[in-house]
Amino acid sequence: MATAALALENERQNPLLRVAALIPGILLLAAIGLAAKWIEQSINGYTKAHHIVFPNIEYVLWAIVIGLLIGNLMKVPAIFQAGIDTYEFWLKAGIVLLGSRFLVADIRKLTGISLVLVFVEIGGSLLLMTALGKAFGLRPKLINLLAIGSSVCGVSAIIASKGAIDADDEDSSFAIAAILALGAISLVAFPAIGSALHMSNNAYGLWAGLAVDNTAEATAAGALFSDAAGKVAVLTKTCRNAMIGFVVLGYAIYWARKGQAGVIGNKAAFLWQKFPKFVLGFLVISVAVSLGTFNADQVKSLANLSRWAFLLTFAGVGLRTNFRVLSKQGLRPFVVGVMGEVLIAVLTLGLVIGANRIWTL
Amino acid sequence: MADEVVQETVVKKSNWGLNLDWWAVLVALALALLVRVGWLQHISW
Repeated sequence: MATAALALENERQNPLLRVAALIPGILLLAAIGLAAKWIEQSINGYTKAHHIVFPNIEYVLWAIVIGLLIGNLMKVPAIFQAGIDTYEFWLKAGIVLLGSRFLVADIRKLTGISLVLVFVEIGGSLLLMTALGKAFGLRPKLINLLAIGSSVCGVSAIIASKGAIDADDEDSSFAIAAILALGAISLVAFPAIGSALHMSNNAYGLWAGLAVDNTAEATAAGALFSDAAGKVAVLTKTCRNAMIGFVVLGYAIYWARKGQAGVIGNKAAFLWQKFPKFVLGFLVISVAVSLGTFNADQVKSLANLSRWAFLLTFAGVGLRTNFRVLSKQGLRPFVVGVMGEVLIAVLTLGLVIGANRIWTL
Repeated sequence: MADEVVQETVVKKSNWGLNLDWWAVLVALALALLVRVGWLQHISW
């Protein structure tokens, strides 16, 4: 027992051992991603060779489905866990590298439109979730967590707020479970609705980025529609993520005034601490590409590196979604979450359709 | 369950510390640098 504890402590302290512990899980993510690409290519090759008309099912869906099957049908050995958890790291590295696919002029145009819609979406979502939570008699801090999670950026926002508003673990877990369950549903619902409405890539990407809460699920929901839509979904979602500090700060000040949370000292430091730093990396790459630092072949390589990083993310999204855990959440928070998310999806769809008429997305 | 979801997420975050974003930025910029100097070329998809 003591030897095992000592070995664990050694592993924690030795950086090489910590990195080595990530390898099995990362290899599992890569294997799932490669299998997903192989299935997509095999089906496409077969249907083309035999002149069969069959819709193209993207590797994104296969990666998520394989991950879901493995994660839910079998107990994934603990040796893989640390590496599987790196899916969030690959997501962020992928977003930074995705900057290579946006010239600064594109970002200015799309960000301008996105920001206007993001402000309306955040305000609308906060009001909607708060009203629904009160109507269903949820606890005030649980209402706040659901409102923050659905308006800004899902699980990260809930974790960021938990400490700031001094919410308890149970409320946080309900809010996280509701957001994760709804994220899983959105992966199926959003591409189907987007296709049924014949939305353009830009309009759909904007909608997915505005309405899907978790960044990984928003990226996947966008990529499930098309590569171009995935790109716009990430940019829009990044705009939402950038607002996290302001929203959490607002709630933290509210609860501090009521004497139920710690007082925030330096507000600028608080905002910087909550700011998603990968946005800066995204901008650095985009500016470098816009200034001609990379030639066309290099830009293509950077874009493809971003795709590889996202491939690992999508495999992780599937592995991480555990229906057994999600089904254990309370019914009322889930009902509030579902009603709120449906209303937010409708609100943002209306916003995007309106914006499309004004700016022709 | 309280603990299953929150603990899992909180532990995951703390394993990487607050620097996960910065690590992602550093690794991505390092990859971009390798592409720029030609050590990584013709990455296909």
